[in-house]
Amino acid sequence: MIKLQNVEKVYRTSSIETLALNNINIDVKKGEFVSIMGPSGCGKSTLLNIIGLLDAPSKGQIEIDGSPVERYTDKHLAELRNRKLGFIFQSFHLINDLSVIDNVEIPLLYRNTSAKQRRELAQEALEKVGLSNRMKHFPKQLSGGQKQRVAIARAIVGKPEIILADEPTGNLDSAMGNEILGILQKLNTDGATIVMVTHDEAMAKKTDRLIRLFDGTQVS
Amino acid sequence: MLRHLFKLIWNKKGTHSLLIIEVWAAFMVLFGVLTLIVFNLRNYLQPIGFQYDQVWNLELSSNQDTTEVAAKLQRAMQRVKSYSEVVAASRMSSNTPFSANQIGNSVGYNKVNVGGDFYYTDGELFKVLDLPLKKGRWYREADLAGKFVPLVINQKMEDKLFLNESGLNKVVKIDDKTSGKIVGIVDKFKAKGVYMSDNPALFYMFRKDDRWNSNILIKTRPGTDANFEARLVKDIAMMLPGWGVEVGYLKDSRKNRDNLTLVPVLIFLIVSGFLLTNVALGLFGVLNLNIAKRKGEIGLRRAMGATESGVTSQFLGEIWVLATFSLVVGLIFAVQFPLMNVFDLDREIYIIAILAAVAIIYIIVTLCAWFPSKQAAAIHPAVALHEE
Amino acid sequence: MLTNYIKIAWKVLLRHPFYTFITLFGITLTLTVLMVVTSFLDHLFGAHYPEEKRSRSLYIATLIQTDSANTTMSSGPASFEFLKKYAKTLKTAERVSVMNNFGFSNAYVNGKRIKLNTKYTDVEFWSVTDFEFLEGKPYDETNIRNADHVAVITDALRDQYFGFDGESVVGKTIDIENINYRVIGVVKGSPPTRVYTYSDVYFPYTAPKSNYEEKGMRGRFVAIVLAKNPADLPAIQAEFDSHIARIPRSEYSDNNRFNVLIVKADTYFDHFLSMFTRSDKDRIALYAIVGLVLLMIMGLPAVNLVNVNVSRILERASEIGVRKAFGAPAKALLWQFIIENIFITFIGGAFALILTFAVIQFINASGWIAYADLTINLPVFLISILVCLVFGLLSGVLPAFRMSRLKIAEALKV
Repeated sequence: MIKLQNVEKVYRTSSIETLALNNINIDVKKGEFVSIMGPSGCGKSTLLNIIGLLDAPSKGQIEIDGSPVERYTDKHLAELRNRKLGFIFQSFHLINDLSVIDNVEIPLLYRNTSAKQRRELAQEALEKVGLSNRMKHFPKQLSGGQKQRVAIARAIVGKPEIILADEPTGNLDSAMGNEILGILQKLNTDGATIVMVTHDEAMAKKTDRLIRLFDGTQVS
Repeated sequence: MLRHLFKLIWNKKGTHSLLIIEVWAAFMVLFGVLTLIVFNLRNYLQPIGFQYDQVWNLELSSNQDTTEVAAKLQRAMQRVKSYSEVVAASRMSSNTPFSANQIGNSVGYNKVNVGGDFYYTDGELFKVLDLPLKKGRWYREADLAGKFVPLVINQKMEDKLFLNESGLNKVVKIDDKTSGKIVGIVDKFKAKGVYMSDNPALFYMFRKDDRWNSNILIKTRPGTDANFEARLVKDIAMMLPGWGVEVGYLKDSRKNRDNLTLVPVLIFLIVSGFLLTNVALGLFGVLNLNIAKRKGEIGLRRAMGATESGVTSQFLGEIWVLATFSLVVGLIFAVQFPLMNVFDLDREIYIIAILAAVAIIYIIVTLCAWFPSKQAAAIHPAVALHEE
Repeated sequence: MLTNYIKIAWKVLLRHPFYTFITLFGITLTLTVLMVVTSFLDHLFGAHYPEEKRSRSLYIATLIQTDSANTTMSSGPASFEFLKKYAKTLKTAERVSVMNNFGFSNAYVNGKRIKLNTKYTDVEFWSVTDFEFLEGKPYDETNIRNADHVAVITDALRDQYFGFDGESVVGKTIDIENINYRVIGVVKGSPPTRVYTYSDVYFPYTAPKSNYEEKGMRGRFVAIVLAKNPADLPAIQAEFDSHIARIPRSEYSDNNRFNVLIVKADTYFDHFLSMFTRSDKDRIALYAIVGLVLLMIMGLPAVNLVNVNVSRILERASEIGVRKAFGAPAKALLWQFIIENIFITFIGGAFALILTFAVIQFINASGWIAYADLTINLPVFLISILVCLVFGLLSGVLPAFRMSRLKIAEALKV
C-alpha cells in the first residue's frame, strides 16, 4: 500500500544542513495498523508528512498504492491526498470559523460532490465517531476529545484507504486517548490502513507493527 | 545600532517590500500636491499690484456694425466719463484683469528677447487701477506724436529684458516695423489674480483711431449701485444700436478666477488626504500585526536588559529606516523635477515641496508606529516569552 | 463551496473588528471616490435633460484651419451660414439644429443686476432638445421670419426677474440691453455643464445681436445633428465629410496660409475628447494620464489592503494547511481567497454606494453646479460593480497567491 525506499530528508539553511531522515525503508501492507515511535525531534513527524505527500523527500522513492509519486504535479498530489489519504493531527487543526459539519465536509469540497451528498456523507462520518448530535456546534464549544473525534470524522468522510495520524492522542488525557485509539482500531478492522506517529509506548503496543526512529534513522 | 536595524530590515526585505512601495507612493502623491500648493502659496504671498474693488468692466461688441467703429467707441468713452459716478475710465484690450483672455507677445532689446503679456490701453489705465509707478510716468496722448510707441513695463520685464540696467527711456523692438520707447515702470501687475505668478508684462498705448480694443474699465465712486449700472447700459445701448453692451465687476471676475485655481487644489487635497489616511491606517495595522508577531523577540530583548524606551525606540528606528529606504527611492524620482526643470517652475518650489513631503512622511510613520511600539514595550518580558 | 467561502470570509471579518475597520474604511473611501467620479462623468457625458437624445446626436462645434505641416492653426466655431449650407442640408439626418456657442448679457430689475447667459437658436433646437415647457411655447418659423423680439426664459430667470408669484409671465416683456423682448415660453433650466444647450434666455437667431449674418466660415455657431436612430450616425458622418470635402480650397485657405480644413460631426464624447487632443498621440497620452490617476487612486489603497492581508496570512495558516492536506489544489485556494476578497470589497461597495448617494445629494444641493442632476442610474451602478470587481481582484490576487503557495508542513506546525 505504502512503500518508501531509501528516503532521505535534508533541511538546508544558508549555513547549516540538517539530516532529518536518513535511509528510511518502509512497506506498509493494505489493512495494517502501523505506528512510528521515537523521542521528540527524531523526525517522525517529518516522516509522516512525507508519507502523506505534504512534504517532498530530498532523495528516495515513495509509492502509494503501487504508483510512484515523485513525478506528480502539485495538482496530482492534491488529488491523490484527497482520494486516498485522511489526516489526523495532534492539535486537531479544525477551522474555528466553521461549524462541525462544515469542517467535516472540507475534503468533499474538492471533489465533484453535490451539497446534499456532502451533507449526508458528513453526517454519516459524524455518526461513526458518535458526534451526530453536535453537528451545528463550533469547535470552540467542544472538548479536546470531541474535537479529535470531529477531526477523525473529517479524515474518514472521503472514505480514504489510508489514515495518517500525527500524535492523535498527544493533547488528550489517557481516558480520551484510549477512546480515540478505540475508534482508530475500529476503522482498521473495517479495512482502513493506518499509520500513526506517537511517543506513547502503551499506544504503540496496541498496533500491528512498530517502526522506531532515532535521530532520523530507522532503528527497527 | 543603526547597522543592527538595517540588518533586521534587510533580512525581511520580502515582507517589507510592499510597505516600502506604499510609503514611496504616498511620498510621490504628497510631493505632487505639495508642489501645487507651494507654487500657489508663493504666488499668493505676492501682491497683485493694483486696486480693483470699485472697478467695472464695460464690454462693447460692435457685432455686425462696421461703420465708424472708432468714432463710436470714442463717443461712448466720452459719455462714460461724463457721469458723476465715474472717477476714471480707460479703454483696454480684451485681456482685462481676471478675464480668461490672454495676449502674449515678445519684445527685444540688444538680442535679448522676452515674452510676456501685452496689454493695449490708453493713457488712463493707471488711474483706474491705481497702478503705482516705480520709475518714470504713465504714457499720455502727447507721447503718440513721437516716432516710437509709448510703452510701460513691469519690474519683472525690466529685470529680464535689461538685466541689470535701467529700462527707462530705452527703445525696444516689438516687431519688424514697430519699435517702442519705455516711459515708465510699474512694480507688479498680476492681472490673472493673486495665484498668478509675477510674469513679465507690457502696456502698449494704442492710437486714437483704434477700433479693436473695445473694453472700458470704469472706476466708480464708492456706493455706486446697479441702478447706475442699468442707466449706463441703457444709455450706451441707445447710443450704439445693435452693439452688445455688458457690464461685469472685477470683484466678481476675481472670485471666479481664484476658484479656477482653488477648486482643483481642493480636489487634489481631498483625494490625497483620502490616500494618506488610507496609507496611515494600513501602516498602523501592519505595524501592529508585525509587532504582535514579534512578542518573543521583545521578551528576549527585555530579558537581556533593554529598557522600555529602548524597545520603543528600536521599533521607531526600524520604521524610520524603512521610511528612509522608500524616501531615497522617492527622491530619485522627485529630484528629476528640479534637475530637468519640468513645467518650468522655480527650483525652490520643488525643493520646498520635497522637504515638506519628507517631513510629513516621517511624521505619519512615527505616529503610526508610536502606539504599537509603546504597547509592545509595555509587555512584561516573562509574558512575552511565555507566549512564544 | 461558495457559501463555505463566504461563511469563512464573514467570520474573518468579525474576528478582528479593528482590521475589518481598516479594510472596509479603505475600500469604502476608494470606491466612493470612484463612484462619485463615475456619476460625475455620467453627468457630463450621459444623455440627460435637456439633451436626452445624445445617443443619436452628433455635434459640430469646431472648425479647424491648418496646414499639412501643422505649423499654423486657427480654430473656433463656425458661422451660421456655413452650418446652414453644409449641416442643415444633411439628407441622412432627422433634424439639424443650429445655435450660437454662448453669449453673456445683463438684465436689471429694481436696482439689482441679473447676469445672463444668452443663446440664439433656430426652431429645430426645440425638437432636438427635450426642454420641458412650464409655460407657453417655443418660437416658430413665423417668429424667425419676422425677426420678432421674443424670448424663452428659464424658471430661474423668471423668478429672479418677475418675482415668483405663481402668475403666468407669458406675454410680459423683459428688458435686456435696452431691447424689450416678449416672453413666449418658460422652460425648466438645465445645468451649465451641458454647454451647447445651457442658457438663461433663448432668442430666435434673427433677433438683434446674434451675428448670424456674419460672412465667412468662422463665426459663433454650433450645430447638433439628430439621427433617426444611433445606427445612422456613421452614414451621417460620411455624408457630412463628403460635404466638407467638396469645399474648394480658396474658401478656407486665407491667402494660402492654410491647406487643410477639419470639421467633424462627432458624438458628444468624441467631440469633447477632440477639444483636448488633436492627434492620436495626444489621445494616447490623455488615456495614459487618466489611467495613471486611476491606478494611483485604486493602487495605493490596494497595496494597503495587500499589506494588511499578507500580514494576516499566518492567522489562516492552519486552515490553509488543513485544506491542502485534504486535497485542495493551489488553484482552489487561490479562488477561495480571491472570492473572499471580492466579497469584502462588495460589502465596502455597498457602504460606498450609500456614501456616494449622500455625496451626490450634497453636490446637487450645494449649488456648485446650478441644476446639478448627478444620479446613480443603471450604467453608473453597473460601472460601480465593475470597479468593485477590479479593485477586489487588484487587492486580492497577491495575498491569495501567497496563501495558496504556503508550504503545508510549515502551515500545520502552528
